[in-house]
Amino acid sequence: MSTTTTSPKRGGGMSGFNTLLVRIGKAVGGVVGTLYQAGRDTIDTVIRNILPFMAFIAVLIGIINGVVINDRTIGGWLAHLIEPLASNLVGLLAISIFCAIPILSPVLGPGAVIAQVVGVLLGTRIAEGDIPPQYALPALFAIDPQVGCDFIPVGLALGEAEPETVEVGVPAVLISRLFTGPISVVLAWLASFGLYSSS
Amino acid sequence: MPATFLAAALQAAEETPTVNEPGGFWGAIAGWADAFIGVFEQGGATFMGLVTGIIPTLIVLLTAVNALIRFIGPEKIDKIGEMAARPGLIYYPVRYLVLPFLAVFFLTNPMAYTMGRFLPERYKPAFYDSAVSFVHPITGIFPHANPGELFVFLGIAAGIIELGLNETDLAVRYLMVGLVVILIRGVVTEFITTRMIARRDSELQEAAA
Repeated sequence: MSTTTTSPKRGGGMSGFNTLLVRIGKAVGGVVGTLYQAGRDTIDTVIRNILPFMAFIAVLIGIINGVVINDRTIGGWLAHLIEPLASNLVGLLAISIFCAIPILSPVLGPGAVIAQVVGVLLGTRIAEGDIPPQYALPALFAIDPQVGCDFIPVGLALGEAEPETVEVGVPAVLISRLFTGPISVVLAWLASFGLYSSS
Repeated sequence: MPATFLAAALQAAEETPTVNEPGGFWGAIAGWADAFIGVFEQGGATFMGLVTGIIPTLIVLLTAVNALIRFIGPEKIDKIGEMAARPGLIYYPVRYLVLPFLAVFFLTNPMAYTMGRFLPERYKPAFYDSAVSFVHPITGIFPHANPGELFVFLGIAAGIIELGLNETDLAVRYLMVGLVVILIRGVVTEFITTRMIARRDSELQEAAA
């Protein structure tokens, strides 16, 4: 009898200790497992998305800086074209309006490839000093009013929108960009005061 | 690399007999080959710079943020989605500022747009516009949100880095201006959507009458 009265108590203590151990083990295992899975996802993203695009950008820069035509690299020739547009507010507004034209914006959108290529191009020109660095911020918005314009029906479908909403939503977003594209450039231009300006 | 090569060649020149520069047909071929491989050497140097300069920090940052998102649990932001569906002026910033930010941060591109399911039909296009406009401004500081499209920011930031300036200043302002822009986009697109729905409804009524 005495064993039956004491054993639940002792067993209770032991099982309490056991549950504590199990709980700690589970928590630590959960944390480590989550971190490990996060690392796995990260490496997957790097290999699938980031490295391929870096390879593409590297080839592009090689061609831009390496191919010489009439004693000037392709980058030099492009700079000649871009410089008057990208180094003043009016030119940047012109770029943003061009990218936001409702017929062009879905064509320029996919994968943001155009925006990324132009971004890299402008970056090389900023590095060369052809474009002043304080225009970097407005330029980021000027090359991007078409963001997601190719993806509106899919994006709305992900939000479980009705077909009638998609019918209205596609033109609504495309038309909205025509206004908000240039507005974003002006805002960015205002926000770039005091950024990298030589005083 | 070419400079050290040249120096080595100059040193060696004293001992070894000089070789004439290849001329004529073969010289032209060699010149072409040189220019050809030069393009890829330049590209290779750029690739090396990108991989060693960006990838290590990016991997650590992505892992930390991915883990953080898993710990918090993305389903937590569903409540904000429900709150954002309410009408009224004070819910504009929730709908087109807080919700897109949290959606893009936690769900990343393209799953962020699924948060639109909490909103009434008339707000969905504006929410999509707002959320999708944020997938590039966020990459300056939180690259995990859209790792496939980093070079909109990184491309331009590369120029800033090369000038020896601090690119984080640019990233912070890009994010801030991005937030203002998505709010404006949400409001403008909602206004246009409302107008278009009203016009479509009146046309339908006329057709019915």
